[in-house]
Amino acid sequence: MTDDTKDTVSLKDVTKRFGAVHAVDGLSLRVPAGRTVALLGPNGAGKSTTIALLLGLLTPDSGTVRVLGGTPEDAIRSGRLAAMPQEGGLVSRTTVRELVGFVSGTYRAPLPLRKVLAIAGLEDLAGRRLERLSGGQAQRVRFALALAGDPELILLDEPTAALDVRARREFWESMRAFTARGRTILFSTHYLEEADEYADRVVVVDRGRIVADGTSGEIKRLVALSTVSVTATGDGAFLQRLPGVVSVEIRGERAHLSTRDADATVVALAAAGGIRDLEVVPVALEDAFLALTGQAGQAGQAGQAGQAGQAGQADRAPGPAEVEV
Amino acid sequence: MLGYIRLEVTRILRDPGYVIMGFAMPLTMYLVFSNLGVAGDDRIWAALYMMVNMAAFGAIGSAFNNGAGIAEDRTAGWLRQLQTTPLAPVRVVAGKAATGMIMVLPAITGVCLSAALLNGVRMEVWQWGSIVLLLWAGSLPFTLLGMAFGYLFSGQTAAVLTIAANMTMAIVGGLWLPTEGFPSWLRTVAQWTPSFGYADLPRKVAFGETPGAGTALILTGWLVVFGVLAVYGYRRAGRVR
Repeated sequence: MTDDTKDTVSLKDVTKRFGAVHAVDGLSLRVPAGRTVALLGPNGAGKSTTIALLLGLLTPDSGTVRVLGGTPEDAIRSGRLAAMPQEGGLVSRTTVRELVGFVSGTYRAPLPLRKVLAIAGLEDLAGRRLERLSGGQAQRVRFALALAGDPELILLDEPTAALDVRARREFWESMRAFTARGRTILFSTHYLEEADEYADRVVVVDRGRIVADGTSGEIKRLVALSTVSVTATGDGAFLQRLPGVVSVEIRGERAHLSTRDADATVVALAAAGGIRDLEVVPVALEDAFLALTGQAGQAGQAGQAGQAGQAGQADRAPGPAEVEV
Repeated sequence: MLGYIRLEVTRILRDPGYVIMGFAMPLTMYLVFSNLGVAGDDRIWAALYMMVNMAAFGAIGSAFNNGAGIAEDRTAGWLRQLQTTPLAPVRVVAGKAATGMIMVLPAITGVCLSAALLNGVRMEVWQWGSIVLLLWAGSLPFTLLGMAFGYLFSGQTAAVLTIAANMTMAIVGGLWLPTEGFPSWLRTVAQWTPSFGYADLPRKVAFGETPGAGTALILTGWLVVFGVLAVYGYRRAGRVR
């Protein structure tokens, strides 16, 4: 229990069902202070439900939810926890300044309004009515509402889902100004690139369970795949036995080897005299992601790594080489 | 909570629906009913009688409008947003009720002022004070019923219900046409409606009579019923997400 109080977020064996659907299925997660953690998973993985549980908007069927050492309600009432919803929350017939100013006024020690508007990049929009904002601008207002009270922990539910690439980058620039203050952020996303680029730690969820947990480098190593392609002639059976190779796919003349260790595979290929039109491509992030979540049902390697991550061990899944993606 | 009330009042003042239904329409109807087609002594009677009725009608419309807005706010995720601020839920409800109590004031004061300034209605100061106070305090049951609609129904349904309830209250409660002209069975029904009691109390004061204790009791009964309905609606809205 003493450890729990140091964590900003502590979920223990949390379950939440909607009818027959296990939205969250025995999920345990601890987030120490000062980190930016991504909750990564496909639609329907249970990310939004997890965030709603952390906000006390839903009550778990079983398990415990602790935020900043107490209940979510306590954390919200004391102004230490704030959240940015995926959508909604912006009322009509109100200006940006009025809304942010109001929410700011509900906190005991809010950031100065001007600073909030500056961090969220809303200075030029302060007098505009909320119903006249673009999707990206509206999202920045939601962000401003979340940071107005200068909370210790912010939960962001798919903060950039509705944004185009440029708006997404702008959003994360604003976010960096906030994390620079040493605050904790837990955000959900289904963009692996986003988790990769902005989180110190990535927790992959699928079907309400954690399937992997680690730095983005570790997550990628778990599925750690590069594709080595060569023009293959004759019997390609030996390809399967090369070091590091996980699977072989022959398309026409080309053999595509999925490998965990591209270097070893290439060296072995060269020794076997099999290099012709060699091509080494790092795995597409989406493929790595699919590989991970596809294993969710099995007690595969990723699942074990997930448990190791939850136990807080530092030496989980050490990979032989950094996969540059 | 003051910040919340200020925000909600500002929002409603910017709502053309409120400005028309909660202010412009009762005021226009008052001036029309008290001046067109009435002459002589009837004119003085109508100026006073319709003043109370139209102020009550406008206040009921404003109170309903405030509550029905909750349905829209729920759909827009505004209530959920409020739940993630330090503002306690009970303050959100109280703040919304307070907003309703503020929003009825323009109709009440607007109609009363035009009665005094345009129609030459003259009364003792204590009568003016009592009438305004009764119209203001008596609007609480309608604010609560409006909030119940807002919590229990979706935006479209709440809006339709609000208009239907507003019309029923106005017609059956005798706000548009005096209940004296009703068939006797309808007059009996009318006396049990909240809108009749609401307008009857200040009307009695206006005509120098003593407001009926029975009427006050009926209105208090409705206050309790609508209060329970609003609490039930709020609880249900909190559960269903």
